[in-house]
Amino acid sequence: MHALSAKLKIQKGNFSLDVEVDFLKGITGVFGPSGSGKTTLMHLISGLENPDEGHIEIGNELVLDTENNTLVKPRKRRIGYVFQEGRLFPHMTVRKNLLFGSVYADKAQQIIHFDEVVDLLEIRELLEKRPKSLSGGERQRVAIGRALLSAPKLLLMDEPFSSLDVALRRQIIPYLIRINKKLGIPMLVVSHDLPDLLSLTQKLFLLRNGRVEGHGNYFDLIQSEKSLDIMRGAGLMNVIPFKVESHDVENGLTQLINREASHEIHVERELINDCCKVGDELNVSLRPEDIAITLNEISDISIRNQLKGNITKIIKKENRTYCLVDVGFLLIVSITQASQQKMNLDAGTEVYCLFKSMALQINI
Amino acid sequence: MNMNELLNFSEDELLAIGLSFRVAFWCAVFILPPSVLLSWWLARKHFRGKSIVEGFVNLPLVLPPVATGFILLLLLGTNGLIGKYLNNWFGIKLAFSFYAAVLASMVVSFPLAIRAIRLSIEMVDPGYEEAAKTLGANSLQTFIRVTLPLALPGIISGFVLAFARSLGEFGATIIFAGNISGETQTIPLALFNEIQVPGHETAAFRLLLVAVVFSFAAMSFSEILVKKLHHRK
Repeated sequence: MHALSAKLKIQKGNFSLDVEVDFLKGITGVFGPSGSGKTTLMHLISGLENPDEGHIEIGNELVLDTENNTLVKPRKRRIGYVFQEGRLFPHMTVRKNLLFGSVYADKAQQIIHFDEVVDLLEIRELLEKRPKSLSGGERQRVAIGRALLSAPKLLLMDEPFSSLDVALRRQIIPYLIRINKKLGIPMLVVSHDLPDLLSLTQKLFLLRNGRVEGHGNYFDLIQSEKSLDIMRGAGLMNVIPFKVESHDVENGLTQLINREASHEIHVERELINDCCKVGDELNVSLRPEDIAITLNEISDISIRNQLKGNITKIIKKENRTYCLVDVGFLLIVSITQASQQKMNLDAGTEVYCLFKSMALQINI
Repeated sequence: MNMNELLNFSEDELLAIGLSFRVAFWCAVFILPPSVLLSWWLARKHFRGKSIVEGFVNLPLVLPPVATGFILLLLLGTNGLIGKYLNNWFGIKLAFSFYAAVLASMVVSFPLAIRAIRLSIEMVDPGYEEAAKTLGANSLQTFIRVTLPLALPGIISGFVLAFARSLGEFGATIIFAGNISGETQTIPLALFNEIQVPGHETAAFRLLLVAVVFSFAAMSFSEILVKKLHHRK
């Protein structure tokens, strides 16, 4: 089912946005550099701004069509808009903030109850506090809860990672994944930070200068030069799904496993049993610069992760060379042009991708 | 002149003080709804001719109060442009009554109230209003549940300013409402009377003291509220 389809045109001074979007269920990441029109797009979808021409369908309901003068007001669109700064009402407690929209929502359309939201987002002890005394992350969770309680059909998240402390910014990710799993509500997550976005979803929508530059799976997108160009500056990232295999509480270690690669990848990391159960899936990031390529398996080396695969494509950008290697799933590896020439790497070459377990960043 | 004499108010003076407070109170009460609405309109809406509306609203601030009173008389006097219909159709005689004193105060206080309230509404981040709308609230609900409470210190400040300005109102009142003891003779008008009569310096001084104390209290209170508003940001 389509979560949202729209065709929108707007001219604002020197900037123009002209896009056609079609989002399916699940989490879609809207990525683009600052000034690419991400916030304008969110405003248009929510109705806070209106386009010069276009139409918007949310779920199966037409909320805007400039051709036959259909215009549903923002408050009737049933969109949960989580603003970048949260925008919690400063004169209300967290509890009152959460309940603000529920009085206007149709009880039959509620997707979640108050108590469920409070537990899901772990904000029970904040209920009687004022927004002023909350941390950035807490504020954001309350804002998400408030949006969910207004019975939305679609959740828009504007830069959920940007207003937070760098060390804490990713803490919001498991909550978003939880919401998506539990409620199945379609989510559009806007960000200019690609690695953060990728740890949440691989379904991407690329925006630049008010135009759509790509839409689809991350690994399909990096094979297109145009998309790669947009994403490159923002920090390309490999995202590998792992399963929690076991927790070794005594030694403080957690074993992760991935069986999709050419051979099983076992990773031992510091214990994370407080957030993940055995069998849970989690995304692990790996920077393309942290992977080395060899032509043969190397036995006398401490690196145990040596994935065999074939190069499917080589993309040269300035002085960097990106190799896409199919090791059961696609890995993007960044090497120098000199290395590529010396090793005579080309599409079809069989290679081994080496990386240290410590280079894996677990997104929890 | 001793302390006892300073506190020994005559019946007329007490009448004037009581009346002043009644006029000021009703002036502030009646002025609040229209000034909140107009402030919101000026703060949030952009329309052609906005500066003309602003100029008109601010006119009583610079116009001599006597002129304001004269305009009121021309409009609402018993034979005035509007007043004559009020009189002929409804039998309402506004001029030279308690209500005339309230109305004269309202007109001169209006720009002050608008200033304070408009500033406080402008300081409410429109982002909160947008958030309220995405959560399902209509414009009125947004105004009542979000804008109004956030602008509250400014609204109270506007109320106090209107009250204080009314306590000091003289020119428009004496022209439009007259100087009738017990009905329209407020503190400034009583003070004016006492100054005119030789030998009434003590009485004049008593009223002066009252005027200073209450005006000062009202202005300080208003300042505290303005500071609180800035502090909240």
